[in-house]
Amino acid sequence: MSAPAARGPSVAVDRLVKRFGSFTAVDGISFRVDPGEIMGFLGPNGAGKSTLIRMLCGLLRPTSGRALVAGRDVAREPEAVREHLGYMSQRFSLYGDLSVLENLRFFGGLYGVDGREFSERSRWALEMAGLVGREATLASQLASGWKQRLALGCAVLHRPPILFLDEPTSGVDPIARRAFWELIQQMAATGVTIFVSTHYMDEAEYCHRLALIHRGRLVGLGTPEELRQTTLRGVLLELACEPVGPALEALQDAPGVFDAAVFGDTLHVVAVSEESARSGLPAWLAARGVRCTSIRTIEPSLEDVFVQRLGGRDLQEGGAA
Amino acid sequence: MFARIRRMIVKEFLQLRRDRAARFRLIVPPIVQMLVYGYAATFEVHRVPTAVLDLDRSQESRELVARFTSSGRFELHAVLANRGEIAPTIDRERATIVLQVPPGFASLLRKGRTAPLQVILDGTNSNTALIALGYVNQIVSRFADDYARDRLRRVKPELVPLLPQVTLEQRPWYNPDFNSRWFFVPGVVGSLALVIIANLTAFAVVREREMGTLEQVIVTPIRRTEFILGKTVPFFLVGLAEVVLISLVGTLWFDVPFRGDPLVLLAGGALFLSSMLGVGLLISTVCTTQQQAFASSFFFLSPAFLLSGFSFPISNMPTALQWLTYLFPLRYFLVVLRGTFLKGVGFGVLWPQMAGMAAIAAVLLTVSVLRFRKSLE
Amino acid sequence: MSAARIAALARKELLQVWRDRRSLWIALFMPIMQMGLIGYGASLDIKHVPVCFSDREGSQRSQDLLRRFQASVYFRLVAAVADDRALRAAIDGGRCRIALVIPPDFSERLHDAGGAAVQAVVDGTDDNSANVAITYARAVVSAYSADLRLDFLLRRGLGSQAAPPLAVEPRVWFNEDMESRAFIIPGVVAMVMALIGALLSSLTIAREWERGTMELLISTPVRPVEIMLGKLLPYFGIGLLDAALCVAIAVGWFGIPFRGTLAMLFWTAALFLVVVLGVGYIISILTRNQLGASQIALLVTLLPTTLLSGFAFPIDQMPAPIRLLSYLVYGRYYVTILKAIFLKGAGARALAVPILGLAVYATAIGVIATRAFRKRLV
Repeated sequence: MSAPAARGPSVAVDRLVKRFGSFTAVDGISFRVDPGEIMGFLGPNGAGKSTLIRMLCGLLRPTSGRALVAGRDVAREPEAVREHLGYMSQRFSLYGDLSVLENLRFFGGLYGVDGREFSERSRWALEMAGLVGREATLASQLASGWKQRLALGCAVLHRPPILFLDEPTSGVDPIARRAFWELIQQMAATGVTIFVSTHYMDEAEYCHRLALIHRGRLVGLGTPEELRQTTLRGVLLELACEPVGPALEALQDAPGVFDAAVFGDTLHVVAVSEESARSGLPAWLAARGVRCTSIRTIEPSLEDVFVQRLGGRDLQEGGAA
Repeated sequence: MFARIRRMIVKEFLQLRRDRAARFRLIVPPIVQMLVYGYAATFEVHRVPTAVLDLDRSQESRELVARFTSSGRFELHAVLANRGEIAPTIDRERATIVLQVPPGFASLLRKGRTAPLQVILDGTNSNTALIALGYVNQIVSRFADDYARDRLRRVKPELVPLLPQVTLEQRPWYNPDFNSRWFFVPGVVGSLALVIIANLTAFAVVREREMGTLEQVIVTPIRRTEFILGKTVPFFLVGLAEVVLISLVGTLWFDVPFRGDPLVLLAGGALFLSSMLGVGLLISTVCTTQQQAFASSFFFLSPAFLLSGFSFPISNMPTALQWLTYLFPLRYFLVVLRGTFLKGVGFGVLWPQMAGMAAIAAVLLTVSVLRFRKSLE
Repeated sequence: MSAARIAALARKELLQVWRDRRSLWIALFMPIMQMGLIGYGASLDIKHVPVCFSDREGSQRSQDLLRRFQASVYFRLVAAVADDRALRAAIDGGRCRIALVIPPDFSERLHDAGGAAVQAVVDGTDDNSANVAITYARAVVSAYSADLRLDFLLRRGLGSQAAPPLAVEPRVWFNEDMESRAFIIPGVVAMVMALIGALLSSLTIAREWERGTMELLISTPVRPVEIMLGKLLPYFGIGLLDAALCVAIAVGWFGIPFRGTLAMLFWTAALFLVVVLGVGYIISILTRNQLGASQIALLVTLLPTTLLSGFAFPIDQMPAPIRLLSYLVYGRYYVTILKAIFLKGAGARALAVPILGLAVYATAIGVIATRAFRKRLV
């Protein structure tokens, strides 16, 4: 609706901390995001992504640190900030007992979108969400993909320059997820700054930049490409071995191997180079009763990046995909 | 500002329209309760079950017993033959009262001595017992007066008209027949409004918090005063409609007079509802789960009801407790209800009650607006 | 049915109650609060009724009569009112409940015509208090009248005529001092149990539905009856604890006589709890959400147990259809039982009817609860 109050970054976060009692949910995170960027928060459940987003929306008060959203301090001027942002929570949080149109009208009213502007924006939102013709359906009766898009519609009725989406696609089927991401890309193209939290690694690839968050800390920040480039010390190899368990154990001490982790029924191994691995590893493994059928270099996925950043252990316990 | 409040109000009513169960709960139970409690709440004592043990069997004793049975207050349920039957009669609750005329009753009377009438009462229900005993005394003293006059007439008839007698001529106002229903029906109006509104508003904010919808509303630029107003106005209107509905049922069905100005009642109702909304909102903003909200509203309701003067007169309470009653809005509203229904009084008499409710409302609503933070903590 | 499964459920439930300190607090504090409030607040024993007077004669005689009102514990003379307007204002504004009007020719009429009347204008709004107050007032006036008469006869040497012909010798059983406290407090025990039992059980189960954990429970091999028993068992214990607490306060603090046996009290309490918890359970199954459950629980407990149980309002004075309806209020049976145990020391034989009523109720509720649960699963 209106441009950010000051030029410069849409959001600037400086050593933001949030404690709940003795538990530190967000532990000194700093970053800046420019207009039109899609910023992804990636991390396992409970990493602090939602807490971070809620602080940026003024739903929670930071324990310390500062967050400027649209040039204003969220903790000090939450109302002024709120006019410039849209927010979609992790849970479906529209009124299930109101119809699609009634929900739009309600949130439009709260954002001060009415009259001709409302009819224009609601038509846009309905088309965007694919809900034309279903205006009278109760929100609770929509399938989860439609619900998400309706929630997005409500969140952007007032054309906010900044949009926060907290796990927008959890529980949504893959096709609907893809459609949803296309919408987000389109919006970013018009200059909207978008924050998305997710624990789906494949979704993270859609983001312009990623913040890897683990236990309240920022463990990596950059474009997906940068993260892939900078994280690995060597090349990533995929090994097919039998049996997997002893293979993993054997690989921990193998020469020229930095790290190894199980991925499905294969092993991902970070090694100095493909050649050295091909020449040395099959024999090393065979000597320990493991048969290796194939070795090939693969492009590291964000999951590999994450595993590397965290040392492999925490990710599995965090339950990420 | 008004646009946002209007949206909130429209939303609340839309939700109410959708929720058929909630609508049902707002209309049918209050009417049914009004009808049932209008009949049930009574302290009147009629037809006291009575047993008679006449051990004298004289003309005088029969005459005395006849005065009891013809009074309409006592209903003869058993005639006993001996003293041994008294205990089982009372124990089994066949009679609340046993009139025992001892042997030699008539001869004592004729000798000009005082003849005793023994009255055995089941005191379990103290109120019934007390009132029944009052009726007994009334009948007996009239009998005694008559007898004394007869006795004097036989000796000095010229003195009979001069025999001094002071009587109490009772002139009950507002409720000349001491009809319990007239007292309780206005009270039921207040009590039902209390229970319904406290419960509804206590859940108002907490429910949205638990459902997650509050989060989505908070991130909009709505101000907290707008939010609180938007949340309360619908309940206020619903509550006012309830008061009118229940009052209508009460007056039309039970024939309770409405002597005052409906506007005075409406003003009192509005103030009462405002103070109740204050209570409910405060609970709603302090609590984080519906269960807590419910427990708190219950904590409030129970004393609010008991200390309101609905059935137990506040003037009978210990002084400390009497002071405590000033904290509960229903106390004031009941005075307004009974004042407008039965006494027909107006603002001139009821202004202290109105002021009391207004003060409670102002304090609580302010506190709940201040306490309501637009955050999730 | 498996005792182990029931025990596992009960343990979990107890743990949740223990963790949720607020509910626990309610379960224990509530009885104390209720007993205190009702014990002190629910009194029908009127004393010190404010009386205004308009003595239009101002004689020795009229002053004598007023002094007698002043001396009675039931009355308190608050103000003299000059005329009818002032009188009306005093009654309208609630400054006094009774206004005594002594006519200007009071002594004259007594002397010349024998009879004189004193007017008592009564605020009849609260009919019961008014009625009781009038009874007391009449007693004051008739004692005064009797004294005048005695004086009159003695002065004329008619001492033989002086004795009052009749005297009432009242003997009150069970509640000898006719204190409303002794009559009301035993019923509070039933009220507290009914309220807390229904609320806690209906809410916690509704919460389990709302959060979806009930579906999880159902998917285990636990049988519906076991779920019901396991969930309700801890509340059963809390209910008995509350009953014990209430009885202790009633007897220890308020000095209400307890003439029956504790065994009798507790096994009937157990029977009553079965009904109360069963009702809470059914409510939670039917509504499955906390708001609805709480509203219905309030609807079927608070007002019915106060108004239709005979707790304060005598059931035999209600119209026949309402009397019939009161049989549906389970509190009614237990209020009867409690009052009889406390004040009359009644045993099982004397209370056979209400106990049987409660037993029938408990059985019906049990059957309905298991049925309702099974239906909900389909």
